Amino acid sequence: MTSSTSSSPPSSSSSHSPSPSFPPKSHTPATTAAGFIKAIESGSKHLLIKRFTLRYPEQKLKFVGDGYQFDPKRAVGIAGLRGRHILYHDKCTGCQLCAITCEGIAEAIGMVRVDEQWKHNKKAIMPQIDYGKCVFCGLCVDACPFYALFMTNDYELASFTKEHLIYTPAQLAIKPKYSGDVEIKIDDHGASHHG
Amino acid sequence: MADLEDRISESQKMGMQIVKESDDDRLMTLSVGPQHPGSGHFRFIVKLDGDYIVHCDPDPGYVHRGEEKMTEYRNFIQNIPHLERPVIHDSTNITYSYSLAVEELTGIEVPRRGQFIRAIASELNRQVYTLYWLAIYGIFLGHSTMFMWPTGDRELFIDLLEALTGARVTHAFNIPGGVRNDVPDGFKDRCLRQITYYEKRLKEYEDIFYNNPLVRQRTEGVGILTKEDAIRLGVTGSVLRASGVPYDIRKAEPYDVYNEIDFKVQYMKTADSFARAYVPFLDMRESCHILRQLLDKMPEAGEVRAKLQANPRGPPGEAYRRVESGRGALGYYIISDGTPKPYRVKISVGSFRNMLALPHLLVGAKMGDMPVIYWALNYWPVEADR
Repeated sequence: MTSSTSSSPPSSSSSHSPSPSFPPKSHTPATTAAGFIKAIESGSKHLLIKRFTLRYPEQKLKFVGDGYQFDPKRAVGIAGLRGRHILYHDKCTGCQLCAITCEGIAEAIGMVRVDEQWKHNKKAIMPQIDYGKCVFCGLCVDACPFYALFMTNDYELASFTKEHLIYTPAQLAIKPKYSGDVEIKIDDHGASHHG
Repeated sequence: MADLEDRISESQKMGMQIVKESDDDRLMTLSVGPQHPGSGHFRFIVKLDGDYIVHCDPDPGYVHRGEEKMTEYRNFIQNIPHLERPVIHDSTNITYSYSLAVEELTGIEVPRRGQFIRAIASELNRQVYTLYWLAIYGIFLGHSTMFMWPTGDRELFIDLLEALTGARVTHAFNIPGGVRNDVPDGFKDRCLRQITYYEKRLKEYEDIFYNNPLVRQRTEGVGILTKEDAIRLGVTGSVLRASGVPYDIRKAEPYDVYNEIDFKVQYMKTADSFARAYVPFLDMRESCHILRQLLDKMPEAGEVRAKLQANPRGPPGEAYRRVESGRGALGYYIISDGTPKPYRVKISVGSFRNMLALPHLLVGAKMGDMPVIYWALNYWPVEADR
């Protein structure tokens, strides 16, 4: 494919006459010293500049919004972090569309029976999510036609056993508390984190 | 015995190397990889005569995951999360050409704002990938500052993409018909601020790495791939451009909104490892110009995604679309038989084609030059294996 077109520069790019980008000329002994000095100078400047490493467990990043959600009016997603899901029991009808979507992706969602009685959920089934399998693509949120399943900012899901990674409908209904307030500030001096 | 001879010649025809006991003890056979970070998840067998490589036999396939077969069991939308696994650092670009091909098959029109947003996401992701590659190239040249700096600056781009797409690495952002969500508030300002900062950083990268006399001496004149050889071997992307061929898919067959963007195809004529390492750097700089223009020209409001039916499908047919990824041309050839699932998907990746130049470049080089040549090829083993 490349060989057929690249024997001569493609016509579309010839309109603005591309010129090869030449790097600075090879270093002669005189400029070698200058090159070293410049390299050392650009590195040593950073001794005085504050580092922008995020001290993670003490500091947590602030995210956009409350997590990835779906806008019923425009039928597109709302930007946000795709963390752990939240399930609104008063909206879920047990239609299984989230589980059907996930079937070809991660097989993380299974429908389980719940004790609650809802008029709109005669079958009394709701999704249960296995976070050992979930890939956090959020396509289940897109698929939910009743806006019952959204995602939240909670990403700290580590646990000691596989069983604890399986979140039942009751666990998914709890709104997580996430308190990240650190933002990246970029100014003339460089990048840094500000609480 | 004749049977054995037949089998040996048969194996040799298939490209396998048989070392007979009578072979000269001079040569040492060395297996580089597949589990050592020195080669990624990829093995190549080299034969050494002293310090010089006299034979090289690449052996890809260690991380083959059957992505192409997996697509046949999922519908066009369910395919997206697993198709970005071959290159998670460039996941927007690898789903970009897939989306383009599916849109051609199903006849979906992408809204203009959606086209801009996914071009922005793709350019940001190109920065993320190239910075990651640069970090690895730096550390394999023994330049540990060049590992720390790009890794740190890459984090800022990941934060941007996280704000835009919701995930740090595997975005699942492109979808046939546009993008998943609109940009968040204040994204444009944040992005522009970041680009200004980043362009300043690129100057420092040049001072400490590309113009560093040690790096220049290490890479200049090592592993020459002439223009004729580059075309004959079919390499692509930065490797092709470093050999003096100004070929970029964004320019040669513009997709989405790239025909409205004014940018130069970056290429060099020196054709050595330094050129192959420098062209991605020039691409990053050019990508900043592209990002500025994209952010400037993006419509203020509008739809970002075409309405899809639950199981998008089109008439039986085939489509081939490609984009310029961080590693060169990345194309999808999709055959549809009219059902919601593709009949066959073929992924054509830049990594695999650049790998074909590896034996050509390594033979005759010193073993110590192996990392310099190999990592400059912009080769991503997982993508090559699919």
